Amino acid sequence: MRKVRNLVRIVILLGVLLLVFVSGCMPGMDGGCSGAQAQGWSGFAPYNGLICFGSMEGSVITLSPQARSEGKTFPAEAEWIYAIKTATPGSACGAMCAPSSAASGKGIYATPLVIGDLVLVGTYTGKIYALNANRGVVRWIYPREGFETVGAIVGNIVTDGTALYFGSANGKIYALDAVTGDFIWEFQTSDKIWTAPVLDNGIIYSGNYGGNVYAISAETGREVWSIKIPSAVASSLAVKDQLLYFGTFDRNLYAVDKADGTVKWKYQAGNWFWATPVIRDSTIYAACMDKKIYAIEAVGGKEIWQFEGDGQMVSTPAVTDKNVFVVSEKGTLYKLDITNGTKISSISVGYTVYGNPYAEGDMVYIYARDHKVYAVDTVKNTITWDFSSAIK
Amino acid sequence: MVDIWNVAILDPVLNGLIALSQMLWSNFGLAIIVLTIVVRIVLMPLTFRQTKSTKAMQELQPKMQELQKKYARDQKKLQQEMMRLYKEAGINPLGCMWPMLIQMPIWFALYLSIMQALAATPENLLILSQHLYPWDMVDQAIPLNENFLGLRLSQPDPTLAILVGLTMWVQQKMVTPPATDPRQQQMSSMTTMMMPLMFAFCTLSFPRGLALYWVVSSIIGIIIQYFVAGGWGYFTFPSFRQHQAQTQPQSATQKAAEQPSKALKEGSDKKKG
Repeated sequence: MRKVRNLVRIVILLGVLLLVFVSGCMPGMDGGCSGAQAQGWSGFAPYNGLICFGSMEGSVITLSPQARSEGKTFPAEAEWIYAIKTATPGSACGAMCAPSSAASGKGIYATPLVIGDLVLVGTYTGKIYALNANRGVVRWIYPREGFETVGAIVGNIVTDGTALYFGSANGKIYALDAVTGDFIWEFQTSDKIWTAPVLDNGIIYSGNYGGNVYAISAETGREVWSIKIPSAVASSLAVKDQLLYFGTFDRNLYAVDKADGTVKWKYQAGNWFWATPVIRDSTIYAACMDKKIYAIEAVGGKEIWQFEGDGQMVSTPAVTDKNVFVVSEKGTLYKLDITNGTKISSISVGYTVYGNPYAEGDMVYIYARDHKVYAVDTVKNTITWDFSSAIK
Repeated sequence: MVDIWNVAILDPVLNGLIALSQMLWSNFGLAIIVLTIVVRIVLMPLTFRQTKSTKAMQELQPKMQELQKKYARDQKKLQQEMMRLYKEAGINPLGCMWPMLIQMPIWFALYLSIMQALAATPENLLILSQHLYPWDMVDQAIPLNENFLGLRLSQPDPTLAILVGLTMWVQQKMVTPPATDPRQQQMSSMTTMMMPLMFAFCTLSFPRGLALYWVVSSIIGIIIQYFVAGGWGYFTFPSFRQHQAQTQPQSATQKAAEQPSKALKEGSDKKKG
């Protein structure tokens, strides 16, 4: 009898443990037990002395660094917030009854794009919002009301001034009219796209999770060439002169000829090159998830220097004339000498950072996972102000 | 603690699963099924031991019924005699639960592996990078193809949740002997019902991949139990139960306490014959 009671107690205890485990309560477990939520990691888009970003709460926010440094109440003059409605079919009953095409999660991954007086934002729920840059009111939304969403948009939108181009998790690359949001063309690739395309001389280049890289005519949406590489494309693409650069899940940074996709060189590191490579002059600055940032010759692929931080380098570095600013996933901002990678200073915001830092003058802006924007004075090496995006 | 868990259990299961997926034509669903079979093979000695124990208990049932009749008015004596009988036969009456309990850490590891390997959100993909071995096979498999038989393995599925509960309940019923004491029977029934219900409930929010593991694992368990024990054990089909209820009108608790399984009854009849 006692044994039966003990057994029932054990079973009940295990049951409770299971529920606790499933609900994500085991301390220290990465991203909780039920997996990390799609919160987003938008970077910043500057315009008219303001900075615009997509928040983890699903809002588009324009901040005035001037007003924030003066401690004014938000929204001050020129500042605004637009809350994107994220309710998708099935939201009432959770993921279980949501359609398989829809992505749940209200965060915004793509950095907003500013064209004239329009702020354009792609959302994880698969929509493009065009907002008035001065007031934050909606001009248009794509897809139009009543039409299905296009699949999660994680990568940034790019433009040639007249059209917008972006990739989607449904494996398609879309072209829309930049002013009206009207559909121009779509191109179906072989797999999911979570990265941004790059535009150069009328050609759109994009990689996908099927290990393909495509060159597509921006005018017609027709394929110019495509290549298959051994692993999926992890980063957004960058282009400079004759070469395209991107990171892959087999821990390589690739350089391929933009004319025909021939692989010119590849550089292997200790983990994924997830961040978009940044090219300045003849050097590539590539942040890697092996906790290092590499400076590599753009043409030959030879390493110039490397710097190791205290955590994975997930976000794309901000590169200025003299410095490289890179943030580790642990939330430490490093100011490096661009010529040799020597650390000049570092400061921690104390929270995980996935979003790209933005550098302007002496200031670097960081959006951390505690839902706060931090303004770091890189000369004084201090945080001058912070702003919580968790506002109503 | 978490580091030990990651290094010793989670990371090997996760990387093994991803490598297996790459070997099986980038089919993650197939990798889950193969891993399930591997896990069941590893646990086979335990399963056999438990199945033998169940079978021995079935054989003891006629004697147990005799004891029930003999000590119907003295529950304490009945318990003592039953325990003596179990001891003499070298049976642990609670042994049927151990394979399930031992599998718990494997389920946890598999649950996390499936969640992380499928990387349903960009954040999950970043977390995944911290657990991967630098193997070409693993690198080339990432990100995994989550489609299996037209279903997305990262999404929950109510149909699979019901299947998880049902198969687990059948498996539990096959190995749980009926208790003689009504209170004991009530607790035993609660235990048999609670686990499958709990798992089915949890599966409503689990990805299909994990539900697939549970369903396949339970089906393999049922098959092993069926062939090794030579039948459905203590599991009785509803029609049989109804028929029995009509022919033996008794109180609900008595019925539950004394109801032998079909196999048990057959065994008892043979001995009487």
